[in-house]
Amino acid sequence: MRLEHIVFHHLKRCKGRAAFLVIGLLIGVSTVVTMLSLSDALGRKAQHELENFGANIVITPHNDQLELSYGGIQLGGVNLVSKEISETSLGKIDSIPNRRNVAAIAPKVLGVIQAGGRDVMLMGVDPGVEFNLKRWWSIDGRPVAQGRELVAGALVAQSLGLKLGDQLMIQNQQFEIVGVLSKTGSQDDQLLISPLQTAQNLLTKPGVVSLVEIAALCHDCPVDDMVKQLQTVLPDADVQAVQQVVKTRMHALDQFRLFAWGVAVTVILIGALLVFVTMMGSISERTREIGIYRAIGYRRSHVLRLILVEAGIVSAIAGVSGYLVGVLATVCGLPLLEGGHASWQWDPLLAAGAVIAAIIVGLLAAIQPALRASRLDPSEALRAL
Amino acid sequence: MSFIKLQNVTKHYLNDADCVAALQDVTNSIDEGCFLGIMGPSGSGKSTLLSVLGGLTHPTSGQVIIDNIDIYQLTAEKLADFRREYLGFIFQSHNLIPYLSARENVLLPLAVANISAAEKLHLAEAILERVGLADRRLHLPHQLSGGEQERVAIARALVNQPPLLMADEPTGSLDSETSQQIMTLLSDLNRDGQTIVMVTHNSDNQKWFDQTIMLKDGQLIEKSVRADRYSKAM
Repeated sequence: MRLEHIVFHHLKRCKGRAAFLVIGLLIGVSTVVTMLSLSDALGRKAQHELENFGANIVITPHNDQLELSYGGIQLGGVNLVSKEISETSLGKIDSIPNRRNVAAIAPKVLGVIQAGGRDVMLMGVDPGVEFNLKRWWSIDGRPVAQGRELVAGALVAQSLGLKLGDQLMIQNQQFEIVGVLSKTGSQDDQLLISPLQTAQNLLTKPGVVSLVEIAALCHDCPVDDMVKQLQTVLPDADVQAVQQVVKTRMHALDQFRLFAWGVAVTVILIGALLVFVTMMGSISERTREIGIYRAIGYRRSHVLRLILVEAGIVSAIAGVSGYLVGVLATVCGLPLLEGGHASWQWDPLLAAGAVIAAIIVGLLAAIQPALRASRLDPSEALRAL
Repeated sequence: MSFIKLQNVTKHYLNDADCVAALQDVTNSIDEGCFLGIMGPSGSGKSTLLSVLGGLTHPTSGQVIIDNIDIYQLTAEKLADFRREYLGFIFQSHNLIPYLSARENVLLPLAVANISAAEKLHLAEAILERVGLADRRLHLPHQLSGGEQERVAIARALVNQPPLLMADEPTGSLDSETSQQIMTLLSDLNRDGQTIVMVTHNSDNQKWFDQTIMLKDGQLIEKSVRADRYSKAM
């Protein structure tokens, strides 16, 4: 027989009190787990959706001039691009330390061509990347796939009278319109889009690109660091973060997390208070019992251990069951909140954290009652003597 | 050489503004193997004296020396160790832990002892056998009669083989027949060399004691030694 046997027997005998303590802490732990799991799942979903809005880092050729346009309104000046970006240099992007955060690299070449008797902006893209990145593009038809295919922006199609399946002559070469973009309200409406190599040939810019958009997976990734890393490997280009998108994204996620933590801390404090009050009540009820222990020679540390081991066991049970209930609540709650688009993911850190936090909170709340018990005067506690 | 020495032991309690003298200048000595009875009317200070002797209540002044150890000079933790190693307590109302079986109650003092589980079990089983409760060892206290509970309490007090057994009104809540059985058991233990200090208000028990001290208003007013005490062991 060891002190722990006494604890187990006491818990077995006082099932009601033990259950009350477990439930009290369980509610706290499960609320914390639910809030954090929800914020994590919703955060990941928001992240995913935000990333679908496109790139958050833009690489352009180095240019010393200030841009004299705002919202598509040109205010004069000539924007002379001194040099293009070599296509081969894009391989260096894979060498940056945060390369795992790079979700997509979308190079583009831009230039003006004559089509249908008018000057039109031609953009050559990597179709597999570009059309995946620009999820908001709604195409009547399909994306370009091979050499002599074009997708026309809404305004270009309207202006040149192009529709799906039409043929268009550019530099004595015949191109087929395989898709027409729905109106986006952006500069994309004024583009003809072709495969990258086709555009490079038409614009006589072989092996170079005009700009590169990068989509970084920014769940806690340091965009500013990535910009610096990219700038280092591409010294002849300007690398800029699309700050507004990134910061709005981070701010929204941070606010949500802050709220989740606020609720979590409040609930945990209430749980701790519950443990404290219940343990104090238990100590009062067990005064005589503690007096017996002290009278037969238990040290203060033995009594302290009896109380703290009991609190630890109850808290560990509450931690494990609270985590499981929290996960269940998250799995059940996510479809209601997000129509099933967000998913729960096993997070070992949260699981371990929930159990450890429950034990720490339980022990901290039980310390004062345990100290009180250990300081009981045996003769006062017994009264029988 | 006296095994227990009480030297000018005084204990005052503060009751609101009043100072109540529970013990006043009590001096006595007890030899090893003695069966001492502490008697006196209610409120005479019997239980306080037992509590002071048992290292549970610090005296206001005076010394309690057991086996040449001035017990109130010990730190709180050392005093707890002393109680565990030197003393066995039998409480007035048994004071068994209600959710532990008879055997587990007996094992309580050994729960913090540095001996193997098998040895603990052996000691508990042996002492339960000695008090005649081997077949009731797995019963909970509420499943035992008053006399059986008392015997569990005695077994618990003896399991760690303490040199000194302290009993506070062990027959106080028992019928006369069961009281007789318990006193016989204690007497047998004493005959085997166990030193016992017992508080009782029942004068019928005096016949069992080697030495009896009478208290009144916290003062030792009478001390008597049985004439045949030294022939007891023969």
